[in-house]
Amino acid sequence: MLTWMVVVALALGVYAQRAAGAVLIDTERLSATWQRVLEVLPLAIISGVVALATLSDDGELAVDARAVGVAVAAVCAWRKLPMFVTVSAAAITTAALRAAT
Amino acid sequence: MTAGRAGLATVRSWFLPSGTAFTSSEGATLGFTYFTVGLTVAVLHVTEGTSPWVMLASVFLVNSVTPTLAYATVTASGGSMTAGILSGWLVSTRFGLFAAAIAPRLWKSRVKRAIAAHASFDPNVAMAMREDTDDKVQRVYVASSLWLCVPWWIGGTLGAVIGARLSDPGALGLDAVFPAALLAIIWPQLQRWDLLTIALVAAVAAIALVELTPGGVPVLAAACASLLSLRGRR
Repeated sequence: MLTWMVVVALALGVYAQRAAGAVLIDTERLSATWQRVLEVLPLAIISGVVALATLSDDGELAVDARAVGVAVAAVCAWRKLPMFVTVSAAAITTAALRAAT
Repeated sequence: MTAGRAGLATVRSWFLPSGTAFTSSEGATLGFTYFTVGLTVAVLHVTEGTSPWVMLASVFLVNSVTPTLAYATVTASGGSMTAGILSGWLVSTRFGLFAAAIAPRLWKSRVKRAIAAHASFDPNVAMAMREDTDDKVQRVYVASSLWLCVPWWIGGTLGAVIGARLSDPGALGLDAVFPAALLAIIWPQLQRWDLLTIALVAAVAAIALVELTPGGVPVLAAACASLLSLRGRR
């Protein structure tokens, strides 16, 4: 759940990075090494976050209806379906499995 | 009458910059995509308990969905608020890089650049950078940013309103939707082998550490997978 404090913290952090890029950082001077790492950092973080949210709960491994829901979402993404279809499919699968068990 | 027409022509030129590679169909695709993403993500956050007003503030001030999705995903699976905010910051490093990439081609004024920075996303920077002159880069950046941001703001606002009216979020399988939404966002990148490898290593590292280390550490371990991008390239 997002709160005012969280939104303000995220907004400041995100804008600080955008403004630093536009006003301060000179890409010609930022080493190619750093650029490559920073470019793929979001992908690495998101992958880790997705894995944790799919297969763990409160610091413990947990495989349940949720994992099936996310797997269905992966199939939707692979079939290039729009995001709202992908997300709805995950929600409906998870909810239906929980209702059935 | 003529003043009105001239004004209309000016607004039209903001959206459709003449003499550039940017087309109205690209703009429409961008707008439709970001409208549906904004709508979907705002509905998700609000049905999970976020106040519609907080969501509205997030749409305009954070001006991106990945940081809030990362925060919600981390905290919904038991991570602390600090770990959630840290993840939210880390997923937005790419905006700083995009802003830095286009900055030398933008206006000299730091104020204009600071405003332009707030609108830096992945596709609008890429579209603007296709142009050969600075003037065209600037006009395409304005146009693609408008086609992207205006529908995303409208979608996000609608989503906050609709989400507040949906009942019984508990039955919706909401704990699956945050990872599903993030997966949909990164999917296009997973078509490349080197990026797929990084994503898999990050996922495995996070899962391997989840029961052994305190919250927050698995996400940081996943972040380290980005160092694999240095492998074998010079």
